[in-house]
Amino acid sequence: MDKYIEMIRIRFLMMLAYRTNYYTGILIYSINIGAYYFLWSAIYGEKDAIEGMSVIQMSTYVAVAWMARAFYFNNIDREMAAEIKEGKVAVELIRPYNYLGMKTMQGLGEGIFRLFFFSVPGMVIVSFIFPLQFSADWTTWIFFAVSIVLSFFINTQINLLTGITTFFLFNNTGLIRAKRVVIDLFSGLLIPISFFPLWAQDVLKYLPFQGISYVPSMIFTNSFSNNEAIQAIIMQGIWVLILIIPIQVLWIIAKKQLIIQGG
Amino acid sequence: MTDAITVRNLKKEFKAYSSRSGLKGAFRDLLTRNYKIVPAVNNISFQVKQGEMVGYIGENGAGKSTTIKMLTGILTPTSGEVIVNGMNPHKDREKFVRTIGVVFGQRSQLWWDIAVQESFRLLKKVYKVTDEQYDSHMSHVIKTLDIEPLLDKPVRKLSLGQRMRCELAAALIHNPPLLFLDEPTIGLDVLVKLKIREFLKEINDKYNTTILLTTHDLSDIEALCERVVMLDEGKIIYDGALKSLKEKWGEGKEIEFQFLEDVTLNDLNRITASSEVKWEKDEKKAIFTAFAEDNDELISLLIAKVVADLKVKDIDIKETSTEEIIRNIYDRGIS
Amino acid sequence: MFYIAIFFQYVAQYMKTRMQYRADLFVEIFSDLLFQAVNLIFILVVFGHTNLLGGWTRDEIIFIYGFFLVPYALFSSFFNIWNFNERYIVKGELDRILTRPIHSLFQIVLERMELESLFGAVTGIAVMIYAGNNLGLGFSWTDPFLFFLFVIGGMLVYGGIFVLIACISFWADARTSIMPMMYNIGNYGRYPVDIYNSVIRFVLTWVLPFAFVGVYPASYFLGKEEWFLYSFLTPVIGIVFFSISIVTWNSGVKRYRGAGN
Ligand SMILES: Nc1ncnc2c1ncn2[C@@H]1O[C@H](COP(=O)(O)OP(=O)(O)OP(=O)(O)O)[C@@H](O)[C@H]1O
Ligand SMILES: [Mg+2]
Repeated sequence: MDKYIEMIRIRFLMMLAYRTNYYTGILIYSINIGAYYFLWSAIYGEKDAIEGMSVIQMSTYVAVAWMARAFYFNNIDREMAAEIKEGKVAVELIRPYNYLGMKTMQGLGEGIFRLFFFSVPGMVIVSFIFPLQFSADWTTWIFFAVSIVLSFFINTQINLLTGITTFFLFNNTGLIRAKRVVIDLFSGLLIPISFFPLWAQDVLKYLPFQGISYVPSMIFTNSFSNNEAIQAIIMQGIWVLILIIPIQVLWIIAKKQLIIQGG
Repeated sequence: MTDAITVRNLKKEFKAYSSRSGLKGAFRDLLTRNYKIVPAVNNISFQVKQGEMVGYIGENGAGKSTTIKMLTGILTPTSGEVIVNGMNPHKDREKFVRTIGVVFGQRSQLWWDIAVQESFRLLKKVYKVTDEQYDSHMSHVIKTLDIEPLLDKPVRKLSLGQRMRCELAAALIHNPPLLFLDEPTIGLDVLVKLKIREFLKEINDKYNTTILLTTHDLSDIEALCERVVMLDEGKIIYDGALKSLKEKWGEGKEIEFQFLEDVTLNDLNRITASSEVKWEKDEKKAIFTAFAEDNDELISLLIAKVVADLKVKDIDIKETSTEEIIRNIYDRGIS
Repeated sequence: MFYIAIFFQYVAQYMKTRMQYRADLFVEIFSDLLFQAVNLIFILVVFGHTNLLGGWTRDEIIFIYGFFLVPYALFSSFFNIWNFNERYIVKGELDRILTRPIHSLFQIVLERMELESLFGAVTGIAVMIYAGNNLGLGFSWTDPFLFFLFVIGGMLVYGGIFVLIACISFWADARTSIMPMMYNIGNYGRYPVDIYNSVIRFVLTWVLPFAFVGVYPASYFLGKEEWFLYSFLTPVIGIVFFSISIVTWNSGVKRYRGAGN
C-alpha cells in the first residue's frame, strides 16, 4: 500500500511543477463558468424553472460540474497510449506493482491536488462573481463527497479501458478524443441529463456516463431528494464494480499480446 | 584563406532552477523559486579555418553542445560575437543554415515515420538542391556510407548505427562547406565508426569541408583531427595541435620488461640507480614496468643497463596514450 | 513561391503516410464528426426548452455553428500546436527545426498538419445550407468572396491566439496546460455575444477574439445589420492577431533555451 501512497505523493509533486497552470487555470475556468452562466441565463430568459431547476440552481450546477471535473478528470489514457507506444510499458510490467492500480493512483494524486488547489479556491472565487447556492444541509455534502469519489473511479476506469485499447489499435488518439467528447455530453457536464428528451434519458440510464458528472452535480445543487441521491450513489457503486470486468479481461488479453509481440 | 568560424568572447548563461526537497519545499516553490545563473559557455574565443577538422572535447557538461547550438543558430548567445560562414547565425537564420550541416548524435534529425529516401527527397526540396547536384553528390555519399539497402525503411525501424549513417547523409544533402557533428559516433560499433571516419576524411579532402566534431571517443579525434579545442567548465583550456598536447602533457614513457630469470624490484632499482626511473611489478604476469621521462637518450641508456645485467625475454616501449593524457587533464586540471 | 512548393511537398508526403494507416484515418474523421454532432445536439436540446436565445432563433444559432466549423476546420488542419511545449521545447525538437532553412513556425505547421480535419469544413457548409434553407436566406454573388475572406480571417484569429499561447513556453519555464482549456473558450464565440455581459463580450471581441470566428462573420449572412461592422472587421482582426503572434514567435525563438541533452 505504501508504494501507492508514494505514487500519489510523487504525482502531487509533479503537479506542483505545473505552477503557471494554477495562476491561469482558475481564471480560465471562471471565464468558462461565466460563459455558461450567461448562456443558461439567456436560455432561461423569462422562465423561472426548466425541468424543475431554477436558474440559480442551474448556474450552481454548471459551476460545480466544472469544478468537479477538475477532480475526476485525468489524462491517464493518453499517458498509457504514449507509454505503450514508446515501449515503456514493458518496463512498467516488470516492476513489482499493478500497473493499472498505479495509473489509478497517479490519477488520484492529480485529482486531489486539483481539488484543493484549483477547485476549492476556484469555487470560492466564482461564488463571489456569480449567484450560486450552497446547501446548508450537511447530508448533502456527505452525499456529494461520496459521489465525486465514485465519479472519479468511473471516469478513471473508462480511461483505463481506452488506454488499454492502444494494445490493439495502432493509433487510438481518435478514439481517446471521441471518448472525451462523448463523456462531456453524456455525463451531463454540458447539459443536465434531465434536459434531454425522454427517450434519450431512458437510453442514458443504462450507461455509466451520468455517474461521472450528472449525479454529483445534481446532489450538490439539491436537485435530488435524499432518496434519489442514495439510489444514484448506489448506481454509481454498481457501475464501478461492473467496469472492473471488461478492464480485467482486456488487460489479460493485452498482457498475452505483449508477451507474444514483445511490446 | 577565410575563417569558417570566428568566435569572440562568446558566453551563454542558463538559469538553473533548483527545487526544494520534499512536499513542503514543493509548496514553497509554488510561490518563489530558487535559481542561480550558470555559465555553460564562459567567454570563449577561437577561430576555425576553411577546411580544418577540429575536435572539440571536454568532460560531460563542459559546454560543448551549448557551443555548437550557438554556432548553428539554435541558441542565442548571452553575449559575445559569432561569425560563421561570414554570417551571424541568429540574424539570417534561414539563409545561414543553408550553408551548414548538423548532426546531433543523441537526437534524430530525420522524420520518424517516413522512409529514409522520402526524408531525403523532402530535404532536397527544402535545401533547393537540383537533381543534377543531388545525383552526382548523393549517389556517392549513399555508396560510401553503404545505406542503399536502408533507404526504403522508416527511420524508427533503423538501428542506431544505421540511423546515424542516414543522419550523416541527410546533413550532407546540400553539400555544405561546414559540418557540425555532436557526438556522431556515440554507441556505434567499430566498423561503423571506421566507416564514418573514413567518409569524413574523404569529404574533407574532396570538398575542403570544414568539420567541427565533439566526441568522447578520442580515437575519433586521433583519426581525424589535427587540432583539438579542449573545454572545461565553459572555458577553453587548450587549443592547438593534438601532437603538441601529447608532447606537453604526455607524462613520459613506459617500458615493459619480461625476464627469463627471477628478478626482484630491488635488483632493478639497484641496476638503474643512477637514472630517474620508477619501477612497478605486475605480480600476476611477472611484467616489470619502468616509468621514465620521455627522453630518447635516457631510455636507451636504461635499456642498455638492464639488458647488460639480466636475461630479457621481451621488451615493449609504450607511449602514454592520448586517453591517459586527457584523463589526467580532466582529473587534475591543466596547470 | 518556394514556400508554396514546399507546402505541396509536405502535403504529398503527408498523404503517403496517412494512406498507410487508413483505419486510423477513418477513426479520426469519425471522432471529428462525433465532436460536431455533440455540439449540434447541445443546441438542439437547449432549443427543446426555449424558442429564442437572446432574440436569436434555433436555425440562426445552427447557422452560426455551421459557419464556425469552416474556419475551425482550417485551423485544426494547420495549427496543430496544442502540444508544442512538450513536443518541441521539452523534447528539444525545435533544435532540428532551427537547423533547417524554412521559417520555424511554418515548418511546425507543415510537420503537424492533419488534413483530415478539413472534412469539418464540409460538415460546416452542409449545416449552413440546411439552416440557411430553413431560414430562407438569400444568396448574392458577393457572398462566396466574403465567405472566403471571413473564413480566412477566422482561421487567422484562431491561429494567432494559439500561436501566442504556444509562445508562452519560450518565456515561462514551467509547463502549462492552458491550451486545452482555451479550446473550451473558443466555443463561446459560436453564440450571440449579446447574451453575455459586457466583460465577457469585451474579452471575446478584443482580447481573445473568438467571436470573430463565429457570430460576427455569420451575422453578415444572417442579415443582422447591427453587427455588419464587426463582420467586416473579421479579416482585419485576423491579420492583426496573426501578425502579433508571428512577431512574438520570432522574438520567442531567440529566447529558446534548448533542452540539454
Ligand atoms: N537548456 C538548458 N537549460 C539549463 N541548463 C542547461 C541547458 N542546456 C545545457 N545546460 C547546462 O549547461 C552546461 C553545459 O551543457 P552542454 O550540453 O553544453 O554540455 P556538453 O559539453 O555537451 O556535455 P556532454 O558531453 O555531456 O554532452 C551543463 O552544466 C548543463 O547542465
Ligand atoms: Mg553534449
